[in-house]
Amino acid sequence: MAHARPIATTRSATGIPTPRLAIWWILASEVVIFGGLLGAYLMHRIGHPEWAEAASHTQTWIGAVNTFVLLTSSFTAVLAHQAAEKGKGKEAAKLLAFTILGALTFLMIKSYEWTIEIMAGYTITANTFWSFYYTAAGLHALHVIAGAIIMGFIAVDAYRGRELHRVEIIGIYWHFVDVVWIFLFPLLYIAK
Amino acid sequence: MADTLVEVQKQEIHGQDHEHHDQGFVSKYIFSTDHKIIGMQYMFTGMLMAVIGGYMAYVFRMQLAFPGISVPGFGQVSPGEYNSLITNHGSIMIFWVAMPVLIAAFGNFLIPLMIGADDMVFPRINRLSFQVFFISSVVLLISLFVEGGGFGGAWTSYPPLSANADYNQTQLGASLWLIAVALEFVAFLLGGINFITTLMNSRAPGMKAYDIPMVCWMIVIASILFMLSVGPLLAGAVMLLFDQTLNTGFYDPARGGDPILWQHLFWFFGHPEVYVVLLPAIGITVEVMATFSRKKLFGYKLVLYTAVATGVLSFFVWAHHQFIAGIDPRMANVFTVTTLLISVPIAEMLFVMIATLYGGSITLTTPMLWALSFLAEFLIGGVTGIFLGASGADIYFHDTYFVLAHFHYTFFPIAIIGTFCAFTYWFPKMFGKMMNETLGKIHFWGTIIPFNFIFIPLFVLGMGGQHRRIYNFEHFPEIAGPEYFQLREIATIALLIMLAFQAVFFFNVVMSWWKGEDAGKNPWKANTLEWTTDSPAPHGNWPVEDLPTVYRGPYEYGHPDREEDYWPQNLPG
Amino acid sequence: MSENNEQRDEHGHDDGHHVNYFKIYLILLVLFGISVIGPEVGAVTGLRWITLITAFGIAFVKARLVVNNFMHLAWEQRIAKWLLASSLILLLLFVAGVAPDVMNHEGNNWENVAAKQAVERGLAAASGYSEEEAESEGPLEGVIASGFSAQNSFGQICATCHGVGGEGDGAAGAALDPAPASFIDPVFWQGRDRDRIITVIRDGAAAVGGSALMAPWGALYTDDQLEQMADYVMSFRPNQ
Repeated sequence: MAHARPIATTRSATGIPTPRLAIWWILASEVVIFGGLLGAYLMHRIGHPEWAEAASHTQTWIGAVNTFVLLTSSFTAVLAHQAAEKGKGKEAAKLLAFTILGALTFLMIKSYEWTIEIMAGYTITANTFWSFYYTAAGLHALHVIAGAIIMGFIAVDAYRGRELHRVEIIGIYWHFVDVVWIFLFPLLYIAK
Repeated sequence: MADTLVEVQKQEIHGQDHEHHDQGFVSKYIFSTDHKIIGMQYMFTGMLMAVIGGYMAYVFRMQLAFPGISVPGFGQVSPGEYNSLITNHGSIMIFWVAMPVLIAAFGNFLIPLMIGADDMVFPRINRLSFQVFFISSVVLLISLFVEGGGFGGAWTSYPPLSANADYNQTQLGASLWLIAVALEFVAFLLGGINFITTLMNSRAPGMKAYDIPMVCWMIVIASILFMLSVGPLLAGAVMLLFDQTLNTGFYDPARGGDPILWQHLFWFFGHPEVYVVLLPAIGITVEVMATFSRKKLFGYKLVLYTAVATGVLSFFVWAHHQFIAGIDPRMANVFTVTTLLISVPIAEMLFVMIATLYGGSITLTTPMLWALSFLAEFLIGGVTGIFLGASGADIYFHDTYFVLAHFHYTFFPIAIIGTFCAFTYWFPKMFGKMMNETLGKIHFWGTIIPFNFIFIPLFVLGMGGQHRRIYNFEHFPEIAGPEYFQLREIATIALLIMLAFQAVFFFNVVMSWWKGEDAGKNPWKANTLEWTTDSPAPHGNWPVEDLPTVYRGPYEYGHPDREEDYWPQNLPG
Repeated sequence: MSENNEQRDEHGHDDGHHVNYFKIYLILLVLFGISVIGPEVGAVTGLRWITLITAFGIAFVKARLVVNNFMHLAWEQRIAKWLLASSLILLLLFVAGVAPDVMNHEGNNWENVAAKQAVERGLAAASGYSEEEAESEGPLEGVIASGFSAQNSFGQICATCHGVGGEGDGAAGAALDPAPASFIDPVFWQGRDRDRIITVIRDGAAAVGGSALMAPWGALYTDDQLEQMADYVMSFRPNQ
C-alpha cells in the first residue's frame, strides 16, 4: 500500500501518458531557466565587444569533443528507448550504461578543461565573461550529473525488466540536456 | 507547529484507521504522500509564517507611529532591524504565506477532490515539494538570527544593495535569504507540475474541460504562469548568489554587468506572481459566490478565457515597476498601455461576480461575507493601480506609501480574505465539523473594518509624498508634520485591533474542531465532487470501486426541472 | 489530435519507430563538423556571417533534429508542442523587453557611463597596451582622478552623511545610528589626529573600533589624495 500508484496516475485525459506529460512541463520550465541565463549572457556579450578577447581563451577543441560525446550519448539514449519499447530490458540497461559512460566522459573532460583555465588565471571572477561561462556551463553540468544519477537507477530497474516506460522519460530529459549544450557550444566556444 | 499538525491529523485518522494497516504517526502525517495531508502541512506552515509576518508588521508599525519606543515583545528597533523586518515581512507574506496557502494548500487539498481523483499523479514528488518548502522556511527563519541580522534590502532585493555586503551589512543574512527564496521556487515548481498534470490527465470520467470547477482551473493557470515566469529569476538568483559569495560582477556595471538586469529578471517573475496569487483567490471567490447565490456562475467560459488572457497579458507588464529606474521612456509608454489594458480582464471578472450575484438567493454565511468583501476591497486595490500604471503619475507616486497602500489593497484581499474565504468554506470538508458562524462573523468584521483604517490613511500619507522606506520620520522635519503622525498612529492602532481579532479566528478553529456540530457530506448543498465524499475525506478520497463519474458542469443551481435547487455533478440523468 | 493519430498510423507505430536513428546521428555529426569548421573559414576569409550562420544557424537545425526525432516531439500531441513553443515565445519576449536597457549603453535620456568605461578599458587591455595600467584604474577612480579636489570629493562622497559643512547633518546620515560624526565638535577631536583620520577614510571606522556604518573608501583615493582628504576634514576642526 505504501507506494501503490494512485488511480489518478493511470488516467490520461489528454492521451499523453502522465509521466511524459510531466517531463514536457519540466522541460518547458527548464527552457526559461536556461533561456534567462543565456539571454542575459547574449545581451551582455553584444553590449561588450571587449569580451571577445576573453572568449578567445576558451578551448574550442575541448568543447568540440564534448559536443561529440553528448551527441553520441544522446544517440545511445534513444537506442535504449527503442530497446525498452520492444521490452528488451537488459539491452536498454546496457545502452543506458553507455549513456552514463558518456556523461562521465563529458564531466571528466569538463573538469580537465576547467582545471587548465583556472590554472591560467581565468577564474569565475576574472571577468564577467568568465562568470557567465562558469555559471552557464556549471548549471548545465549539474543537469548532466543529475541526469546520470537518475539514469543509473532507471538502468538498474530496466535490467530487471521493471518500469521500462521510464527509459523514454529520462531519454527525453537527456536529449534536452544535449540540446542545451548544442546552444552553449557556439555561444561560449565558437563565437570569438 | 508540530502540535497543531498532530491535532489536525488525529481528527483525520478516525475515519480511516480500520481501512489501512498501521503506518505509525510519522509516516502517516509527517512523511505522508496523501494530498490532503500535504495540503494541511502547507496550510499550517503557511499560517505559522503568517503569524510571524504579522508580528513583524506589528513591530515596525509601532516604530513608525511611535518612533524610538521600546516595542513590547521586541524592544528598541534599530535601523538595521527595521530594514530586516520590512524585508522579511514582505518576503514571508508573499512567498511563505500567499503562495503556500492559496496555491499549494488549497491546490493540494482541492484539485484531486474536485476532479474526482484519488490523489495527485505524483504523490512522492508532492511530498518532496513540501519538504523542500519546509526547508526553505527553516532557512529563512535561520537567516533572521545569523550574525549581522536578517537581510534588509527589501523583498525585491535590488543590487548593488543586495549584492555587496559592504552596503547591506548582512553578508550571511542576504545569502541565506536568497537561498531560501530559490528553494521555495523549486518547491513550487515541483508542486506546480503535479497540479498541472493532475488536472490535465486525471479528471473523472465524463469531466470535460468546461466541467472543471473554476478554482481548479485558476490554480492550474496560476501554476503555469509561475512555472513560465520563474525560470529567468532562478537563473538570476544564482547569479546574485555568486555576486554575494564569490564576488563576481554580474550586476556591477563597472565590471561589465548591469544592475538593471536584476530588476528585469525579478519583475519578469514578480508581476506574473501577482496574478499567480490573484487567480486562485478569484477562483475561490466565484466558487463561494455561486454556491451561496444558488445561481449558475455567470459566463463560465468568459471567466476561463479571461483568466487565460490575464495570464498572457501579465507577461507584458513587468517594467511598470521600473519607470523611474532609468528604463527607456519609449518602453515606459508601451508598458503603460499594457498595464492599463490588464485592468480590463480583471474588471471583467469582477463584473462576472456581480452578475452571478444579481438576482440570486443570497445567504450571508461567513464564507460569503469574505467573498463579497474580496470584491469590494480588491476593487479599491485595482482602481488605485491605474494611477501607478501610468508612467507620468508613477514618477510622483513611486516608492511612497501610496504604492504600499495600493498593493496591500490587492494583496490583503488575495492572501488574507481569499484564504479565510476558502478556509471557512472548506473547513467542514477538511475537519468534518461546522465552524461557528457567530464567531466567524465577529472575526470577519473585526478584520475588515480595521483593515480599511490601516491602509486608507496610508494612501493619504503617500499622496503627501511620504517615502516608504523611512525608518524614523522625526529625522525629516519637513515631512514630519503632526497631521501625518496622527495618520500613522491611526494605521498602527487599527493594525493592533486587527491582529487582536485574529485570536477570535484561532479560538473559533479550535472550538469548532473540538465541539463543532458534524458537517455531514454536503453542508452547503454544493455541486462539486468534493462534497460527495465523507467529511473529512478518507485516504483515497472515495472507495476504489466507487470513484465518481461526472455528468454535468459544476454550477447547476436552481435548475427548473428539479425539486432541489442543486444538481451534483456526479448524479446521472 | 486526430491529425496526429493519422500521422501515427502512417508510420504504423505508436512512436514513429521508422526513424532511422543512425541516419539522424550521422547527419548530426556532419552538421557538427560544419559548425566547427565554419568559423575557421570565417576567420580566414574575414567573413563574419559565415561564423554566425555555421555556428548559430546550425545549432538551430541540430536542435530541431534532436527534438523532433530523438525526443519524438514530431509524433507527440499538439499540446506538448504548444507548451514548449509558448515557453520559447515568452523567452523572446523577455529578451526583447530587457534588451533596450541591458544591451544598450545609451538610451533616450540616459547613458551607462560605467559600462562604457568597462568596454573602453577592456578594449584597451585587449589591444595589448599596458594591461596593468588599465586594470589598476578602479571604477570611480577615473571620475575622481580627473581634476581631483578634496573639497569636491568631500561634497560628493562624505557630505551625504557628514553634511557639506561637516556638521554630521547630511541627508543620508539622519537615519544612522550612531549618528555621523560632526567635525566642528571640539569633543570629536579629542584624541583624534591626522593619521587616524586617514586610517578611517581608507579602512572604515570599524578598523579603529568605530561604527561599521562609516564605510572604507580607500579604493577611491591614492595615498596622496587620502592625505588631501584628511587635511580637508581637519580644516573643520574648531580652533582652540
